Amino acid sequence: MKQMLYEKLIQYILENQDRFYRVAYSYTRHQEDALDAVQNAVCKALEAYKSIKKEDAIKTWFYKILINECLKMVKKRKGILLTEDISEQGEAYYEKGYEQDNDLEKELDRLEDDIQGIIRLRFFEELSLKEISYITGFNLNTVKTKLYRGLKKLKENMQEVDV
Amino acid sequence: MRKLEIMKKSYDNMCIPGELSIRVQQEITKSRQKQEENRNAVGCRRRKRILFGMETAAAAVCILFTAALNMSPVFANEAEQLPVIGGLARILTFRTYEAEKDDIAVSVEIPTIERIAEETKVTVDAINREILARCNQYAQEAVQRAEEYRTAFLETGGTPEEWEKHNINITVGYEIKQHGSDYLSFVVRGSESWTNACNESRYYNLDIETGEIVTLKELLGSDYIELVNRSIREQIDERRRAGETFFSAEEGGFSGISEEANFYINENNRPVIVFEKYEITSGSAGEVEFEIIV
Repeated sequence: MKQMLYEKLIQYILENQDRFYRVAYSYTRHQEDALDAVQNAVCKALEAYKSIKKEDAIKTWFYKILINECLKMVKKRKGILLTEDISEQGEAYYEKGYEQDNDLEKELDRLEDDIQGIIRLRFFEELSLKEISYITGFNLNTVKTKLYRGLKKLKENMQEVDV
Repeated sequence: MRKLEIMKKSYDNMCIPGELSIRVQQEITKSRQKQEENRNAVGCRRRKRILFGMETAAAAVCILFTAALNMSPVFANEAEQLPVIGGLARILTFRTYEAEKDDIAVSVEIPTIERIAEETKVTVDAINREILARCNQYAQEAVQRAEEYRTAFLETGGTPEEWEKHNINITVGYEIKQHGSDYLSFVVRGSESWTNACNESRYYNLDIETGEIVTLKELLGSDYIELVNRSIREQIDERRRAGETFFSAEEGGFSGISEEANFYINENNRPVIVFEKYEITSGSAGEVEFEIIV
């Protein structure tokens, strides 16, 4: 059975790698970091596949690992930023292929990191609130509050811009 | 928030660096090698367990197993999982093989349906022959595609070492959807690790009593197309309201099923229509399924 699970996991990874990259990129905003995060997550997942409880849990289980790796990358990058000249980085974060002239995207970026993450997981990855709660480690009600607070803020800020 | 939808679209269309699949494949290969080492270490124990499982099975079937099938871990797993004597028909791995040439790895697992009750005179040979031919053809074509890719890669300045790192994998295998007392439903899939363009899935639904392929028409009646379309449209509307996205008609979204629609029969004996990745919604959703409830 464990062997089947292993194969299922590999299949899942192969089929969804593009999604993983998108998630990683939306967290790290950096191609190299996103690739590193996905690779690390795949490596860790394959090592720890025995800890998956049920086959249907593969998705949330993997996302949890992935998000963890992304946050690690972001942290590392922030550490580097402090020592480097910040002005040099700035715009370079945005790469081609990712819409940046969208003002909503800018507004989204201004929200707190965990709220941004929740909004992205909910609307772009289309995960349920319960799944997000498991992945981020916040309890369900916290996820709800953060999501609605984030959306409200977005709406307010957008209206200012739209006028 | 329409803007959020636009953002979602540009998110879905984010360009994915080609390096991604190479690096993912690297990790998988690394992990597989490790697994292989571990397995060899416990190899003796494994084999014993397989033998034990066989003893408990009916002796006659046992002979068939050893005569017709390759002994492989995959097969051992399947045998563990399925009731040895269940319905009138069941599915077995007919042959598995793995090959590698020019750093193109091929792994094939071809299923075959076996009738347990011989006296029913129903044969499934034709279906088995079709599956076998299809699997072999897919594997052959996939290897050819990969070889063409390799030639192009080397001609445009790639080195054999770089090619090796691509870890091209071709997989043909099957997945059982339902193995109940009325129907046997399974899907045979072929895929290539380096492209999604040529993936192929073929669904087989068998009536266990007759050994015949079951069609949607037989399950749902002669106006099945209309029935299914209506049900899918309703479900799409419902799922849209719940936040899922589907392509609109202009974007090439759902426009009604054809007579050859892919489906399997689930454990409730209801047909489930399956749309391939990219067929009616963005690729990130993968395959999309609709259970048809009449």
